[in-house]
Amino acid sequence: MSRKLKFNIFRFNPEDPNSVPHTDTFTLEETPSLTLFIALNKIREEQDPSLMFDFACRMAICGSCGMVINGRPGLACKTLTSELPDEITLMPLPVFKLVGDLAVDTGTWFRETNTKIESWIHSGQDFDPEAIEERMENDLANAIFELERCIECGCCVASCGTANMRPDFVGAFALNRIARFIMDPRDQRSDGEYFEVVGNDQGVFGCMGLLACEDVCPREIPLQDQLGILRRKMAFVGLKNLFKPKKPARERRF
Amino acid sequence: MSSVDTAIFVKPPSRASAYLDWIQMLTGAGLVLFMWSHMVLVASVNIGPNVMNTIAYFFEATYMAQVGGPIIGITMIIHFILAARKIPYTTDEQGVIWRHARMLRHTDTWLWVIQAVTAMVILIMGSIHIWTVLTDLPITAAKSAMRVQGGFWGVFYLILLPCVELHVGIGFYRIAVKWGFVKRSTRKGFHRFENIWTGVFILIGLITIIRLWTLPIAGN
Repeated sequence: MSRKLKFNIFRFNPEDPNSVPHTDTFTLEETPSLTLFIALNKIREEQDPSLMFDFACRMAICGSCGMVINGRPGLACKTLTSELPDEITLMPLPVFKLVGDLAVDTGTWFRETNTKIESWIHSGQDFDPEAIEERMENDLANAIFELERCIECGCCVASCGTANMRPDFVGAFALNRIARFIMDPRDQRSDGEYFEVVGNDQGVFGCMGLLACEDVCPREIPLQDQLGILRRKMAFVGLKNLFKPKKPARERRF
Repeated sequence: MSSVDTAIFVKPPSRASAYLDWIQMLTGAGLVLFMWSHMVLVASVNIGPNVMNTIAYFFEATYMAQVGGPIIGITMIIHFILAARKIPYTTDEQGVIWRHARMLRHTDTWLWVIQAVTAMVILIMGSIHIWTVLTDLPITAAKSAMRVQGGFWGVFYLILLPCVELHVGIGFYRIAVKWGFVKRSTRKGFHRFENIWTGVFILIGLITIIRLWTLPIAGN
């Protein structure tokens, strides 16, 4: 016999002056292989057309459907109801700006953070569209790809105690991103330049090691390992330059 | 004459965060090792009061207690000041982390909350303990027993003991994962080891407190 699932869903529309934050309860019969993504669509089609939530790809690639599922940030499309108890509570991701109900604006946050950490390959070389692509060892390409798999869903940021308390903390996402550029031989930034970006309390030294990011990441990116490697690397960059004079802040290269 | 600090207007690059993180970690690691050694040394009273007296005498005759004691006290204060940078101080931030921890139901996040709360207890009670012991040298089993048997100090240590052991145990685990000494593959096992290790130290501490509470005090 199939289960009757009870959904407690956060409701609030910041655009509507009469809207008050509250939870609505919906009941749905469980069907085989039911994901939260399908369940939410069913609820919206059959019970409440005003329910707001984001999705695009339904296969854990686009990172739109991140939400707090029974207390833990995760992707609605990747979560089967069979993994959950009869009662399921859905909340929007904290830290990000609430659009309405379960929909949040992760885009603005990621755009700002990517700009802050200069999340692109810094190369002095002019791009030659005629030239053959530069070769890279397969192992290195795979190692970079392992970190490149991030879909910017925001689960690591929403689960981070520091990011929740301090809005200027860049989060595991950004530190993983920097770790990826450090590996990449095409990025010509020096250790000192990386240090300037993340060698501070808004960056890797702000991380308190609660590892919720590691435990919730839907892509299972090795965040714990990368954060550890980056902290050690940046700490030693600081130590190596202990008696060297500080250079003035360099020009930002956009 | 330039009397205006230009850093007000253009923030120069700073390495302070890195140095402070180093000092926070090193003072923490040092205090963890000290606390575990301290527990083992005090627990020597379980073997016999004379064993504890002999060890205490050794540390005083070599002036390690008189010099080392205040150094430990200062290290604790430095560690507190540095680690407190991460602890929420405004009620706003405290509310955020409290609601966050309750929502997430995540062990490591709760462990951090325990670390932050025990830190405050240790700062006050640890300072009182250090002051009391160091202003009343030499340390002897009889004096310690008398203090514990007075009742007030017995309860005092029953509160301080689990706070310290939890704080140093969690801190040890935290340093290991934060600095990448323990990887994803070994985290679970290390966590279990840490729990058992902390449990053993709390147990040794409790046995020691009971021993001091029941120790017959000669000459009284």
